[in-house]
Amino acid sequence: MRNLKIKTNHWLLLGALATLLAGCSEPSSTPASSTSASGAATANPAVTAAEAMADEPEVDAAFVSQLPTDHWINELPIGNNEGPVTIEDLASGTANPERWLHYGGDYNNFRHSPITALNPDSISDLKVAWSFPTGTDGQFAMSPIVYDGIMYMTTSYNHVMALNAATGELYWRYDHPQPDDLRICCGPANRGVAIKDDMVIMGTLDSHLLAFDRFSGEILWDIEMEEHSYGFSSTAAPLIVKNMAIIGTGGGEYGVRGFFDAYDLTTQERVWRVYTIPGEGEPGNDSWAGDSWKTGGAPTWSVGAFDAATNTIMWTTGNPAPDWNGDDRAGDNLYSDSILAVDADTGEYKWHYQFTPHDVWDYDGNTTIFLADITFEGRSRQAVVQANRNGYFYIIDRVTGEFLSATQYVEQLNWATIDASGRPVPDPLTMPQTNPDVRVCPGLQGGMNGAWAGALNPDLGLAYIPTVENCMKFRKGISVYVRGQSFTGGSGIDTDASQGLDYGHLSAIDINTGEVKWRYMDADPMKAGVVSTAGGVVISGTISGKIFGLNGETGEELWTFNAGGGIRSMPIVYQQNGDTYLAIGSGDRSRTSAVPQGGQLFVFKLEEGQF
Amino acid sequence: MKLVVKQIIVWTFSLVALLGLVACSESEPPEPTVVEAFMNDAEALARGEALFVGTCSGYCHTLERSDTDALFLFDCQWKHGGSDEDIFNTVTDGVPSTRMVGFGDNFPQGADDLWKIIAFLRMNQEPCA
Repeated sequence: MRNLKIKTNHWLLLGALATLLAGCSEPSSTPASSTSASGAATANPAVTAAEAMADEPEVDAAFVSQLPTDHWINELPIGNNEGPVTIEDLASGTANPERWLHYGGDYNNFRHSPITALNPDSISDLKVAWSFPTGTDGQFAMSPIVYDGIMYMTTSYNHVMALNAATGELYWRYDHPQPDDLRICCGPANRGVAIKDDMVIMGTLDSHLLAFDRFSGEILWDIEMEEHSYGFSSTAAPLIVKNMAIIGTGGGEYGVRGFFDAYDLTTQERVWRVYTIPGEGEPGNDSWAGDSWKTGGAPTWSVGAFDAATNTIMWTTGNPAPDWNGDDRAGDNLYSDSILAVDADTGEYKWHYQFTPHDVWDYDGNTTIFLADITFEGRSRQAVVQANRNGYFYIIDRVTGEFLSATQYVEQLNWATIDASGRPVPDPLTMPQTNPDVRVCPGLQGGMNGAWAGALNPDLGLAYIPTVENCMKFRKGISVYVRGQSFTGGSGIDTDASQGLDYGHLSAIDINTGEVKWRYMDADPMKAGVVSTAGGVVISGTISGKIFGLNGETGEELWTFNAGGGIRSMPIVYQQNGDTYLAIGSGDRSRTSAVPQGGQLFVFKLEEGQF
Repeated sequence: MKLVVKQIIVWTFSLVALLGLVACSESEPPEPTVVEAFMNDAEALARGEALFVGTCSGYCHTLERSDTDALFLFDCQWKHGGSDEDIFNTVTDGVPSTRMVGFGDNFPQGADDLWKIIAFLRMNQEPCA
């Protein structure tokens, strides 16, 4: 008997079932069991459910597996007694190789591990140590968290699981019940949890913020951030700053007014909310014609960064709404497609930089922001660098917001040049038309895209950027706003993908200059996250299911593994008991691929000399 | 007597002629529906297309079959009824427990706009089996 217990919203059903079975069923001669030699539960959630009912041996295992269970809790001690996660732990990022505490690895979002054992010489010794199914389709697009020997993993549709980071043993699991009327534009993704104290925190597709006891999986609290049916959703991992969970919202395709919030982890009170569109009378509101600011989008659906030295949170924003018709929102549409810097304690505005004023191409500015100290034109700068969806790699002073440079990092770009002040000069021919005839690059996915996260090796001064090359035409139509309805004003029209002209690459970009140092090419757009190691390798995957490891300095391919399903997740590297592990999820949402949907986590272990 | 016979003949002839006219009028093509009228109106079709492109086709529906969650409305599959009136009511009232919120009377030119969208759908519908 393992330590998982069903905690479900269907106790009445279970009671009735137990009564029924007590009266009519024959005792099972072989009680349902999934206990391994070590006493651990197997990784099959359905069997685990049966096992959890093994106190009542008359219950038929197959029948129990069909119960509408959504929560399995743990009641036994787990972990290595490392204690609650502290602010200092979070500030140390990946310094402790046994931990991975943030979606981005650290507050700089480097996704860079100090582990040197995983290097160009050893990477081919990676072997599968364990694997785990998600049971859900859609893109498996998360980054795990590892702390105290436990891995916290989410799946599409907001399932969350706690696993032994070394063995894959399942400790607890929660499947968030979703309403039928979710307002999600682009798949049921969840990108991971955050951790603080003894809490694991997750945003949900129906715009809630949930906290779990990290040992038992019990729900500690549940905040409704906004009414989801008005167009709000949450797919990003929260960012923990001090005693607050910082989290944004999706909804740029539903005409929401974007925001990002800070919630006190002790009181669950909202400490502050930063609307990404200034209200009436506030600076910047006049960058929206008429009342268009009220339905202007500028969502915040990815993870920001925290600069402790200046007590500044930087968060990025997405497209103005409606996406492809800007006629009714004349002006720059602040602060859409921007980076916003605010005081961490109050949310007070510090500075902003807008990448794509008056966007009509859906060039969300939500891609990974790296807080990097660089040398720019011979001078040390505290910078924030970003490969933007619009195809330019930006270097910005993160103290002042001063624009320093923008360099094309995609191979195909024709929508605009950038002037000396950092303002785009769009080619009018690339604007959406009623009957468009111009192929515009990048297409609406980018470039890079905030749905996945790049990495940065500070020793090499290189940012690793998974990139889409998929140009499109953009069509403009008449948009009609109805609260909770799609509000896009047009659409992208495929020109490349159906002709097999789309492709991708992982590009290594010099963070001091924006120069592309090398590209690792793939026949498909690159849509997975990246991890980098101090040993000098970089690891990611392709949407055809290939996990690959490269020499971080040269881009040389060193190792591959066929995972089957497309790679959309963010890999991590960590150690347990001195052993080195790589965790990466497989599973995409393609409806036309012959490969079945379904997420699967693969965990590799460095087995040097044993194979 | 001759007069009576003559009157009967006249009345009979008139009645037959009247019936003939009625029958004739019944064989005339019926008045086109509003959708049918818009299907023959290039300007109306262009507006229907612009509304569909700008309001329906971003992520929820597509102009071409695609590898997305978006429902393709140009095949012959209608989940909530495929008559013009069914489509009109579905768009107006929405579909409960889905993200299809009813547009109510929010179209800029009222019901005509929705009929024009339906006309655009009809004009571009794939052949049905």
